[in-house]
Amino acid sequence: MASPRGEVLQGTLDLIVLQTLHAMGPLHGYGIAQRVKQVSEDLLKLNQGTLYPALLRLEQRGWITSKWGASENNRKAKFYSLTRAGRKQLLAETESWERMTALMARLLGGAEGA
Amino acid sequence: MEWLRIFGARLRGLFRKRNLDRELDSELQTHLELLTQEKIRSGMSVVEARYAARREFGGVEQTKENYRRQLGVPFLETLAQDLRYALRMLRKSPGFTAVVVLTLALGIGANTAIFSLMNAVLLQSLPVRNPQELVVVRYVAAQSEHADEDFSYPMYQALRDKSSVFDGVIARSGVSFNATYQGQSEHASGELVSGNYYDVLGVRPWLGRLLSPEDDQAPGARPVAVLSYGYWQARFAGDLSIVGKQILLDAHPMTVIGVSPPGFFGTDLARDPAIRVPMMMTLAFRPIPANRMQSARHRWLTIMARRKPDVSIAKAQAATEVLHHQALEEQLNGLGPSVKAHDRERVLASHVLLNEGNQGFAHLRDAMQQPLVMMFSVTAIVLLVTCANLANLLLARSAKRRKEVAVRLAIGAGPGRLIRQWLTESILLGLLGGATGILFAVWLKTGLIHFLPAEFSNTLRAPLDARVLGFLAIASVFTGILFGLAPALQISRSSVTAAMHGEASLAVSGERFFSLRNALVFLQVALSLPLLIGAGLFLHSLRNLRGVDTGFVKENVFLANLNPALNGYSTERIRILYAGLLSRVRSLPGVRAASFTTSSAISGGWDQEGVRVEGYQPRQDEDTSPNAAVISPGYFASLGIPLIAGRDFTDQDNAGRQKVVIINQSFARYFFGDADPLGKRISTDDDPKAPLNMAIIGVVRDSKYVSLREKPRRHFYTAMAQEPHLFDMTLQVRTTDDPRSIGDLVRAQVHDLDPNLPLYATTTLEIQIDDSLTSERLLTWLSTLFGIVATLLASIGLSGVIAFSVARRTREIGIRVALGAQRADVLRMVASHTALSVSAGMAVGLAAAYASSRLMAGMLYEVRSTDPRSYAAASVLLAAVAALAAYLPARRAAQVDPVTALRYE
Repeated sequence: MASPRGEVLQGTLDLIVLQTLHAMGPLHGYGIAQRVKQVSEDLLKLNQGTLYPALLRLEQRGWITSKWGASENNRKAKFYSLTRAGRKQLLAETESWERMTALMARLLGGAEGA
Repeated sequence: MEWLRIFGARLRGLFRKRNLDRELDSELQTHLELLTQEKIRSGMSVVEARYAARREFGGVEQTKENYRRQLGVPFLETLAQDLRYALRMLRKSPGFTAVVVLTLALGIGANTAIFSLMNAVLLQSLPVRNPQELVVVRYVAAQSEHADEDFSYPMYQALRDKSSVFDGVIARSGVSFNATYQGQSEHASGELVSGNYYDVLGVRPWLGRLLSPEDDQAPGARPVAVLSYGYWQARFAGDLSIVGKQILLDAHPMTVIGVSPPGFFGTDLARDPAIRVPMMMTLAFRPIPANRMQSARHRWLTIMARRKPDVSIAKAQAATEVLHHQALEEQLNGLGPSVKAHDRERVLASHVLLNEGNQGFAHLRDAMQQPLVMMFSVTAIVLLVTCANLANLLLARSAKRRKEVAVRLAIGAGPGRLIRQWLTESILLGLLGGATGILFAVWLKTGLIHFLPAEFSNTLRAPLDARVLGFLAIASVFTGILFGLAPALQISRSSVTAAMHGEASLAVSGERFFSLRNALVFLQVALSLPLLIGAGLFLHSLRNLRGVDTGFVKENVFLANLNPALNGYSTERIRILYAGLLSRVRSLPGVRAASFTTSSAISGGWDQEGVRVEGYQPRQDEDTSPNAAVISPGYFASLGIPLIAGRDFTDQDNAGRQKVVIINQSFARYFFGDADPLGKRISTDDDPKAPLNMAIIGVVRDSKYVSLREKPRRHFYTAMAQEPHLFDMTLQVRTTDDPRSIGDLVRAQVHDLDPNLPLYATTTLEIQIDDSLTSERLLTWLSTLFGIVATLLASIGLSGVIAFSVARRTREIGIRVALGAQRADVLRMVASHTALSVSAGMAVGLAAAYASSRLMAGMLYEVRSTDPRSYAAASVLLAAVAALAAYLPARRAAQVDPVTALRYE
């Protein structure tokens, strides 16, 4: 699914959003997009619009909640924050992600050695 | 349960949609503004910044669309849309809708009716607490494959008192009462039950109290009775004050202590005893043998048990087997050294079998299983034929809706979306048909139950419970998918351009249409033919059964039962009563002969008795036992059975004289071969030292005794006047006219002799014989009806296909005729494909019927299930109907006037 534009898989995006909210505390959509851009140093080109269906999905699963507040420019903005279930989910996903990357590292390292 | 929460969130989203839309708008607006500001800060112009922000954000409308898709339940939304549309379409063509819904109502209704019977007879558990814990205990004699359900009272006691795997063991035995209340007597069915019966089954009283173990401690100690709800309603009009009152059962005053709840029929679906009394009252109602409660040799009661919740059937069986064996050993030891080693071995080699008891004693199930499954198959096939027919109808309709499809395709509907829309329509039709079908199902179910003999139809209930309604719903949806799928697939294959071009393209896509429609014709023929063949076989079989030489004259014989023994009559008084009644009845106007018998013909039950015969040495384990009946003089005259040799009993053959016996031809042939049996002696005493005390005085022709299907049986008759014990007997009256008209006169004579003596089970010999053919008649009736329905449906479908093809090819036909084609050529042209489909369908139908013929073999009488005549007759009939159905529309093609046809477009 990795297209030239560097689009992210759905599961990955979920993990990124959860991790961002975990690290930064409550954020609105723009804030999350900024943070992702910053951290990924533009390696990951996220179409920021795709963030919103993802946020809704996470909310429907009960991993994040949202509250209305005021943005930096004093506009109405929705602030998202992690729930307890979300924290648990983040832990679980991080773990499985780490397992996966370790596996891939071993696999690819082995290929190189041979 | 996560999906549930998500679904809930989505469902909420569906209803708060407009609000959420606005919220999203402002959220995205904020995001874009912040992004733009960021760009401005990095030095872009306002216009550039706005553009860059847009680019980085991606499509706003796309985001909204994705968001909305995530928000609601798109499936439900589309469904609602499709449903609205489907309803509109159906309303637009009410005629079409009505035809489809009614056809489906018949098809689905018939299936539901049969299913409700299957549900009641084959699937339903007893209406008691935790029926799945119940087991039926069965007895398998040594070296026998066959299990019966009869046990002795001592064996019951052993199982009840010593078992560790059961929470309770109950025993029951059927009995009949002469029930008298306020001077009115009637025959009532009853049951002797162990004191723990209601407790173990978990049944609570409707009124008063039910029997308890305390009621069943000592013989004769507690003369109490519990009424069934139905009997309480029917006989006592639901009188609440009946509790505590006395009723007379036979000659015994019994106190009514309570009423069992409605819906509780006991442990056998086919029986609904009206009155239950404690087993310890047995000797009051069944005085002989006097040692019934102590004897291990008399097996007369049936046993059910409730397993402890953690005990499997296998474990319970193993434990019960051990217990059974121990009990047998103790009983044998109790008999002392008189028991021969051989007999002892035989007894100990018997064992017990535990069966699932959630349906109780399922005699009705065993008897009805095969016919019910057969009926269900028949109705299911008819439903399939209906589906094929409706599919054809929808295909024709889809041709008319071509323009609509074209528009939908043009504005971007994919094939999946089109299939969904069409299936929604057909499933909606299926559901409407199913809903209407409920009415038909109720009607048909009631009719079918009335078709059964009274003993079943009075007790059998087949409620439309959750399971039946679930079946109805599934059948409706499934049917809708089935008949909608082919047209839906067909339509989804249309291309936009072809559809837009309309008529011009018809010829091309028409060929495909043509073959699919013919495939449906093929299917209908292939399904209908086996039904017709089955109907033919059943008709043939029923005719054979009806035409069986019964050996007696069945017309104009009135039958009624009488049981004075229940009212405490001694055998001597019974003899006097019977003789008196006979002479009274014989002098009634319109009576040609009258007699008594212990077993009337084709009533289903006869006695068998072992005999020793002068000059005949049976092999070891040869079962020589003939049927036996006790009769009065005049028996053969009232049934028209000819005497071949010797004489009938007379009034002089009484207790003081030589014991005499009359045998039938089979008896004579079996035991005496060609020798003259008259004067030879036999005995029913199995002690080899006892004298052969009965002399043969007559030989009568063989006749049918238990059922019309039986092979000739050995049979002997003894004289009522010489019988040491008399109980209930059947009065047979041969009349000059309609036998039913004599009923009231006979009843008046009985009432005159003893007003407390009810005459019961009154019927005629013809009805009794007809009742013995219930499932045959039912199967014949249904398979004929449905065979005809299926054939008609198939031929309508076929007619439609040809008419369609003719209409479509009018122009082509015109050209051909103009070029000199003959009438026959034209006929051949429009009908050849269909004729091919019909032939192929018939070939497959014949093969299918042949392949499934084994299933029917057991239900047929003197017709082979592969009877070539039935196959040929059904094929000819179907072919003729098909030819007619094809000819009517095809003729129109042949009559096409080339000039009109060429101007057609």
